[in-house]
Amino acid sequence: MRAFVFTDKALERYAGQFVWLAVDTENSTNSGFLKKYPISVWPTLLIIDPKKEAVALRYAGGATVPQLEKLLSDGQRVVRGTKSKADEEIARADRLANEGKHAEAAKAYDEAIAAAPKNWSRLGRAAESLTFALFQSKDYERCATKALELYPRVKGTYSASNVTANGLSCASEKPENRATFDALEKAARETLDNPKIPLSGDDKSGLYETLISAREAVKDEAGAHKLREEWAAFLEGEAKKAKTPEQRAVFDSHRVTAYMALKQPERAIPMLEQSERDLPNDYNPPARLGVIYRTMGKYDEALAAYDRALAKAYGPRKIGILRGKADTYAQKGDKEAAKKTIEEAIRFAESLPEGQRSESTIASLKKKLETM
Amino acid sequence: MRKLLLILLLTAVPVLAKEVLPFIDNDYSKALAEAKRKNVPVFVDAWAPW
Repeated sequence: MRAFVFTDKALERYAGQFVWLAVDTENSTNSGFLKKYPISVWPTLLIIDPKKEAVALRYAGGATVPQLEKLLSDGQRVVRGTKSKADEEIARADRLANEGKHAEAAKAYDEAIAAAPKNWSRLGRAAESLTFALFQSKDYERCATKALELYPRVKGTYSASNVTANGLSCASEKPENRATFDALEKAARETLDNPKIPLSGDDKSGLYETLISAREAVKDEAGAHKLREEWAAFLEGEAKKAKTPEQRAVFDSHRVTAYMALKQPERAIPMLEQSERDLPNDYNPPARLGVIYRTMGKYDEALAAYDRALAKAYGPRKIGILRGKADTYAQKGDKEAAKKTIEEAIRFAESLPEGQRSESTIASLKKKLETM
Repeated sequence: MRKLLLILLLTAVPVLAKEVLPFIDNDYSKALAEAKRKNVPVFVDAWAPW
């Protein structure tokens, strides 16, 4: 969104209607904020009522300019005071989702939809949030059923993308329920192919990935491979259309995943080298080069790339880079260096402030160290 | 979805928004105080540089 949306002049008219806060969740100065507003999906968009210091609206995921305009208007409505049962329920659901109470949030989103008047403009967002909350609470069957039930009401809108992707992800957990699975796969594909829905490149890439996972879930390798090729070609087209290096680099991570899935990691090298030149302060291009070189068995190149990334990295992401470096040493056969790198990762993980410190990450690093 | 989340986790968004919207960076207290003074809500973009 920072590369494509927040720079759009169409949003200028909202500048004075909100105070705009960018929170880098990797930055330790935000640990207090993260304790109050835990974030597990990136980006997450929040509208906060400053008088109550409470979430008025919460949206997990990115948005296009028109979607954002709708979110802003919905958030203002909640802060001004909701009048209908449906609006009260969706605001309550957003607060529950912020507290990580996904099952309760799902129930409240469901109640919001049940109480909604005809042509309720928040229906799409409620449907997206309901299916996502059901996915988060691992209620896969209900998630798939709800997505299928709500699809006709959001068909042809932005929300169809998340509703079908959430629903198909849930259906892929239980593909034996074939009728629901097939219907959601068809719905996701028709959403991806609908030129009238101006979905972002991110949204479309997410739909491709969900469709590929669905083919994998029914063990259709040929179908999955065909989709992976289509996905890679789509991402290359999007990257070509980018007007700035930042916009082009948005697709790097998707392309790395696609090329790795195609078992052609070498295809990622030229773009990552380009990104490393274009964005010299960004640790992502060398960190991704580390992954690519390690996958290719080029361990010395991988270690050099990880070191370049570590020189710029900060926050919890640094742990992942150290883990990648340790795995490279282990694959190279240097057990001692691998062990030392994991010890460094543990020290770093333990040094993070509350809000960023993850006990499960520390435990998994310690477990890894024991097996080395 | 798990893969989608992984992509979100890995997505690079290293550029700061140009001044179409006057973002305050990493200072919730300042944003909150300003919002109370202006009597407007706070919009938060919780992002990560990967």
